Amino acid sequence: MVASPPVSKSNPVAKSLVSGILSAVGCVALAFLVQYISGQFLSSYANGLVFQAATFVTLAVSLNIVNGITGQFSIGHYAFFQIGAYTTGALSLLFWKKFQGAANVPMQEDIWIVLMMFFGIITSAFAGWIVGLPSLRLRGDYLAIVTLGFGEIIRISAENFTFMGGATGTKIAPEKTVVWLAWLLAFAAIGLSRNLLKSVHGLAFLSVREDEIAATAMGVNITRTKVAAFVIGSAFAGAAGVLYAHQQTFISPDLFKMDGSFIVLTMVIFGGTGSITGSALAGASLFYLPEALRELPPVPFASLVGIVLGLIATIGALKRYSDQSHAKTSVKAATMIGIIVVGIVFMAILGKLLSFVPSISAHAPIQGSQLRLVVFAVTLIVLMLFRPQGVFAHHEFSWKWLRSVLARVLPKQKEGLSS
Amino acid sequence: MVLHGLFLGLPLAALDIRTLPQQIVNGLLNGSIYALIALGYTMVYGILKLINFAHGEVFMLGAYTSLFVSWAFGFTPNATVEPQTQVWYLLVMIVASMTVSGLAGVLIERFAYRPLRNQPRIASLITAIGMSMLLQYGGQLFLPNSPPPNIDAMINPYRGNVNITLVKSNENLVAAMKSAEQTKLTADSAWDAQKKLEENSFYPSAKGQALQDAAQKADRDYIEAQGKYNNSGVSILMPVGRIITTVVTFILMGVLSYLILFTKRGRAMRAVSHDFDSAALMGINVNSIVTFTFILGSTLAGAAAMMDATLYQPGLQINTFFGLLPGVKAFVAAVIGGIGNVPGAVVGGLLMGVIESLVGWAGYTSWQDAAAFVVLIVVLLVRPNGLFGSTAAEKV
Amino acid sequence: MVASIGLASFMATGCKKGSSAASGGANPSSGGDTSGSTSMRKPMEGKGNSAKNGVITIGLVASETGDQKPWGEDSIKGAELALADFNAAGGIKGYKINLDIQDSQSIPAGAGNAAAKLISDGAVGIVGEVSSGNTVEIANRGFKAGVPVVAIGATMTKLTETQNNVFRVCYPDSFQGGVMATFAYQALGLRKVGVLTDNKLPYSQGLSRDFIRTFKKLGGTIVDQEKYEQGASTFSTQLTQLKAANPEAIFCSGYFTEVGPIVAAAHQMGLTVPFLGGDGWDSPKILTSGGKAILGDYFCNHYTNMDNSPVVQQFLKEWMQKYKSAPGTTMGALGYDAMKVTLTALKNCKTMDSVDLRNALANIQDLQCVSGTITLKGNNGTPNKRALVVKIVPMGPLGFQQPVVAYQPDPKTGLPVKVPLGSAAGS
Repeated sequence: MVASPPVSKSNPVAKSLVSGILSAVGCVALAFLVQYISGQFLSSYANGLVFQAATFVTLAVSLNIVNGITGQFSIGHYAFFQIGAYTTGALSLLFWKKFQGAANVPMQEDIWIVLMMFFGIITSAFAGWIVGLPSLRLRGDYLAIVTLGFGEIIRISAENFTFMGGATGTKIAPEKTVVWLAWLLAFAAIGLSRNLLKSVHGLAFLSVREDEIAATAMGVNITRTKVAAFVIGSAFAGAAGVLYAHQQTFISPDLFKMDGSFIVLTMVIFGGTGSITGSALAGASLFYLPEALRELPPVPFASLVGIVLGLIATIGALKRYSDQSHAKTSVKAATMIGIIVVGIVFMAILGKLLSFVPSISAHAPIQGSQLRLVVFAVTLIVLMLFRPQGVFAHHEFSWKWLRSVLARVLPKQKEGLSS
Repeated sequence: MVLHGLFLGLPLAALDIRTLPQQIVNGLLNGSIYALIALGYTMVYGILKLINFAHGEVFMLGAYTSLFVSWAFGFTPNATVEPQTQVWYLLVMIVASMTVSGLAGVLIERFAYRPLRNQPRIASLITAIGMSMLLQYGGQLFLPNSPPPNIDAMINPYRGNVNITLVKSNENLVAAMKSAEQTKLTADSAWDAQKKLEENSFYPSAKGQALQDAAQKADRDYIEAQGKYNNSGVSILMPVGRIITTVVTFILMGVLSYLILFTKRGRAMRAVSHDFDSAALMGINVNSIVTFTFILGSTLAGAAAMMDATLYQPGLQINTFFGLLPGVKAFVAAVIGGIGNVPGAVVGGLLMGVIESLVGWAGYTSWQDAAAFVVLIVVLLVRPNGLFGSTAAEKV
Repeated sequence: MVASIGLASFMATGCKKGSSAASGGANPSSGGDTSGSTSMRKPMEGKGNSAKNGVITIGLVASETGDQKPWGEDSIKGAELALADFNAAGGIKGYKINLDIQDSQSIPAGAGNAAAKLISDGAVGIVGEVSSGNTVEIANRGFKAGVPVVAIGATMTKLTETQNNVFRVCYPDSFQGGVMATFAYQALGLRKVGVLTDNKLPYSQGLSRDFIRTFKKLGGTIVDQEKYEQGASTFSTQLTQLKAANPEAIFCSGYFTEVGPIVAAAHQMGLTVPFLGGDGWDSPKILTSGGKAILGDYFCNHYTNMDNSPVVQQFLKEWMQKYKSAPGTTMGALGYDAMKVTLTALKNCKTMDSVDLRNALANIQDLQCVSGTITLKGNNGTPNKRALVVKIVPMGPLGFQQPVVAYQPDPKTGLPVKVPLGSAAGS
């Protein structure tokens, strides 16, 4: 055919370069905007939450690179987070004062933290490389155990690390909640994941997830891909650890308990394995869930027992119905809402009835805060029972996707729109 | 030297060869509990390819059951009357603990894992983690926190130690010990007589102070001489409670092996483990086999929990996190042995116990848990499927 | 070992420098602590909160869930009792006091968020926590926001050194470790001691370190040091090592949850030397889990039910009336004291805001509390309280802790000095 004009050939590159620069600038601007808004209009508590949300988004998105995109089951992500925090801890203890004296410049603390992020990335990426190496030979669950074990080794080393105060931990300087940097890091993690998926390398990652044997046959270097995933994932976790350390200012092994790794893993699963936006949104919302649940009022013990029994019955009924019914989506949704309403009424009645049982009504009411982690665990189980692929599954959040979902749930509305 | 300075607990230990046999035996005895819990992990993994994170919590429920049964027998912390002590209490406790654990395991499988069997494995894994968290934190609302059973001292009629002497103590040191004891007794009685005159022996008068100092000096000399005598020999001390635990462990393992290797149901289990779908096509009721597996694994955990809470280590406090650490360690043991392999779990458990003991023997008790994981990683690097794991290629 | 300890103490000074730089960097301004001229304590940064619409909010951070639940529950009960007493005695005219309780989940991050929540809810002052790791987080949040913090059971020595908003009602580890070392060396006449530490607990690590330091200074020898982790199900390895070292006593600095089983197991294997410990032993459960083996062992405590001073007896009476059973742990009494100190300071306030409350706290003098007399004026946040060494005796109507010796810090050296027992309220 006719040779295409040179403009159209060079255009995509130039265009992608321009859009790349634009989105980078946009991200920086957005990060500073977040910092400005949360610094100006929110309390220091809420400001801290905004910062921590970014940290958890980074953690979730970076773990998604390992777990979701490459399919390597890592349950020790907090170890890399901790390595980042301890790197900056040690370096700040040794050199921050000297730096402070030597370089008297504006935004001195921010500069130091950026510098520390660089070192945090190096150490945690190195650790990621070490952990990634066994994946040469290990598969699936075995790798999970190795990552878990690595996490434990790091925790125990930290307990014995007297330079950083052992189990007590140590206070580090400078203390600063760098909201813009945290969000910029989160955006970088999201952007990098997205660009990875759009590139040839990304396909190699995906192929390792889908079928290692087929991937090898197609010439993908599995080892290198897996190790690369680990290195990238842990580097982001390490950078997040640096920021987190400077926000918390007192770092100790207690901050990095094993549960943390599970929670980050849950975020990834919740959002949908492989879905970047899913991980990011789940990271932010699941991080906020326990904080929101602080407001729960004390629950009488009878109502609690009623809720537990009612919940089990409702979930059972829902599960049974959703597995066996072949009705239209809209009918199904309506029935399920009906079951939930009946379930709630059932819970209320049961709670009232139980309050007449003397041994139950005599029990002290349960503080709302005691229920937070329980609610968290129940959410997890229920989600897995009804939507095991996660909220977003493999999809990314986009307006198009939202529209297609809505179209499926509300068929009539779509007809109305199209006609 | 830098490491030595930076990290606490790295004494360049003087290895004491005389405590080595004792430590190895300690390790084997400790390892048998790990082995018993590890069996549950390994069986479930063999059948479902699922790491049952809630297994540690099944163990915890078993411990609570034995505690409540002991309370029913009158062993409450504030008991006014010393309860009657009878051996069959122990049997009732272990049976109750095994029953409740078995039931808990089955319920968890039925309602949390089975609905997800056709979903990606990661979904069941997350449910398992959720289940584990639910039992830990939800249990806190209903279960009493850290109640002390201390049943061992009251019930266990076989309480005491079995002492095996490997090298006899140096008899030449006996005379020195005896004379030190004499001095000690004299000094002590002098101080005791004076103590009766003093109001508070911790605020003695000048005369009392002198007598007290002398008595304390004599005490120290006696302990020194006694230690010299004791340490000149080599012996192995085994608390009977632990021996019972180990023996029961091996009996249960024997029963388990028989079930798996020589019964029809065991053959069906092996078939399901080998190929889930083909087994179903061959007419095996897969659901009932999975249930059976959970019953077996969870009952073993229940037995381990009862023994751990009562006989094995007297006075351990029970809370809802009771199963966390033993669970993780047993899990590691199962993986070292080759997860899915029954003898592997036993060997892995014993090996874990011995490794921990040896690390402690070398003077690094603060690194015990880390050492277990280091060994795990090394084993997996050398033999990616564990020591006894099948080497068949895994289809992903 | 000497090299290692030397390095460790060098590191400790290193991080002290670091932290003072941290708080100094942001606010080099005026003042200093009103209470001490040589203080390193930096003035808190924020403006804090004040009473709103006649309601004064006092925050309480407590471990309602997690490992430290028993302590957390007692601290809440104690604080609520103190508030009830205070209100019964008239309260503060024209104001209502609102106690806002937040859960720390027994972890520092949870404590930090709880404190932040309380601060944004308008808490004028914060009471809590029972453990040092959690309190540090609360103290930092309070420091930045300008809200004073009264710690309940946080014994970490460095806790109150750098920030002037931090106070506590308990003695620090440096003193507690010193007391037990002095007691072991002087009163019991021990020279060779083994040390068993819970390596997972900051409390235990710090206490063991302070014990070892003082015991060596006095001339004693540490024959062996072993570690275990909270939640461990067996201690045979550690005990075998200790037995081989042939110590005259063992200092066991962990919590009672593990100490009971440890002592029972030690006796079963023939290691019958006395065991010594810190205030983490304080719970009747140590008797049931330790059995007969634990009887006759000694530990350091803030107060004991067997103390026959009127303040303690009055407190016990009220507690029994309200909760139907005696306090399970020391944290009941300390929670009460922390709240009492805060409320007394609040009563001395004029403007009912955080800055005023902090200054009033720093001027608390000779306040009769359940766990002794508390003077915060001139003490940089840590009262110079007496500590009791108690002996474990079979459970009686008044508990199981028989007081044997009392120690008071020497005003000059800070080293423990024996003081008469009868003056349980201290001086």
